[in-house]
Amino acid sequence: MNRQLLVILLSFLAAGSAWGRSSPADDQAEQVKALLERVERLEQRVAELEAKQGASATPLLTAAEKTTAQKSEPQGATASTAQAHDHMPQEQAVAQQAEVHYPSLQVRGFADMDFSATDEPRTTSGFNLGQLDLHLASPLSRKISYFGEMTFNAHPNGYTVEVERSIIRYDYNDYFKLSFGRYHTPIGYWNTAFHHGAWLETTIDRPEIVKVGGTFIPVHFVGFLAEGNIPSGGAGLSYSFGVGNGRGEIISRPGDAGDFNNNRAWVANVFARPVKLYGLQFGASVYRDKITVVNAAMIKTDYREWITSAHVVWTKGAPEFLAEIANVNHRQVLTNRTSNSQGFYTQLGYRLPWFENTLKPYYRFEYIHTPRGEAVFSDLDLVESIVGLRYDISSYAAFKSEYRHANRNVLQTPSFNGIVNGLFLQTSFTF
Amino acid sequence: MNATYKRFVAILGATFWLSTIFQWPSAAQTARGADIAVVVHPDTPVDDLSLAEVRKVLLGERQYWNSKLPVVLLIRAPVARERDVVLRVIYQMTETQFKQFWVAKIFRAEAATPPKIVYSNDMQYELVAAMPGAIAFVDARNVRPGLKVLRVDGHLPGDRDYPLR
Repeated sequence: MNRQLLVILLSFLAAGSAWGRSSPADDQAEQVKALLERVERLEQRVAELEAKQGASATPLLTAAEKTTAQKSEPQGATASTAQAHDHMPQEQAVAQQAEVHYPSLQVRGFADMDFSATDEPRTTSGFNLGQLDLHLASPLSRKISYFGEMTFNAHPNGYTVEVERSIIRYDYNDYFKLSFGRYHTPIGYWNTAFHHGAWLETTIDRPEIVKVGGTFIPVHFVGFLAEGNIPSGGAGLSYSFGVGNGRGEIISRPGDAGDFNNNRAWVANVFARPVKLYGLQFGASVYRDKITVVNAAMIKTDYREWITSAHVVWTKGAPEFLAEIANVNHRQVLTNRTSNSQGFYTQLGYRLPWFENTLKPYYRFEYIHTPRGEAVFSDLDLVESIVGLRYDISSYAAFKSEYRHANRNVLQTPSFNGIVNGLFLQTSFTF
Repeated sequence: MNATYKRFVAILGATFWLSTIFQWPSAAQTARGADIAVVVHPDTPVDDLSLAEVRKVLLGERQYWNSKLPVVLLIRAPVARERDVVLRVIYQMTETQFKQFWVAKIFRAEAATPPKIVYSNDMQYELVAAMPGAIAFVDARNVRPGLKVLRVDGHLPGDRDYPLR
């Protein structure tokens, strides 16, 4: 009986403490608000007093006897010293904010830890360390900035470090910004919106068509990029145009150390953010390259590649809608034989208005089709549905859970129908 | 592909249904108070901006007043009313979304620095006066001489249709 009473008592205490947990934050916010209001009232009062003092100082001095003025001088000096001391922190803060230092490096990190369990044959379930991602941003002068991104990736035999982005950019104005370096190729939306920070994206992983290490679109690009706004009134048009090395010897990688086939690729991207529909973005991209594929017998075959892509997104969170489609055309240079592969995804999320907007359920549908005659891509066909929930633990950390149902035709064997179900969990954050 | 197309249309339809059905007004959306004036350094070559243009400036989509004068964004620290109005009317974001927006913006290499945070009106006035290209948001009752107050959508603070309040 006593034990039951103790359990009930403890339950009430726990419930009470949990109930009380939210109220101090509200109280604190109220107190800060009241203090800020008070600071503002005091600032106003000081301004009024200073104005009065300024107006009355001259008559006082002229009316006073010279000797009195001399006598009062030390007192006045003390008062002004005290006043100066009062103003010091504010002046210092203003000076600090107004002062601009070059270079001024800011470092931000992103990381994630994952758990996965699927019914795919010959796979194991368990935890894995996602990417540790360091982002560097440093203005070098008023118009020149550097941006870098490095990832540390866990592998069975250790870690690899990858320079994901390294960009130096000169801003002439809003209409023309020129940069050189290694980018995420501006094809479509996702690849340049979320980069490698898992915390930034609603879902656990990127869609298959823009998967890091994937081949469907070239995720990275080494070269130069011109970008900016296009004077277009309410249409809110922007552009980017770049020339670079294109795909490397391994087609999922760019030519970091040089152009493998001595043929530059180019990319052009135009998108609109209409002024009257805040949150909406839509656009189209074109990418042109020549790929050289080396087979097992070391025979090189050249292909011309055209990638065309379109996207429409609504990013306000309630709801969030992302849709992107890409067509990859390959034409063998020698035989003129062509193939077209399509991939797209649509993602819908909704930030619920309850629990301080911390919950966001989402659904994503993905599709990739490569024709039988496709010679550059292999094992890409996919039809996948993802249902998940994102919970923002704080402003800078999130927990995500997902159920995935995928049909990978390419995995089909007599003993396996190619359908994979899986549960995925992730905690991702920025620091 | 037919089933795929149907699924795509269903998702699109669901998006618009959700956007129209769930329009939850927050407490902040219902709050009303004094107008918030948009003030700039006197040498800034603008006098009138539409609300959409103010939004472009605050979103970092317009980063230069002209090719020689970059925009310097000043925003009050959390809990100040000026900040609440800017987040509610212009950004249409919560405090968390605003923080996340600027982390993402810098991560995308779309901006090199976030807005400067100011802790009091005095500090705000001194910074706007000291920094060419600076833009700040102040309670219209406390506007002091020496700064340029911008018209928003053709209206000054105090006008009936002034949008920032």
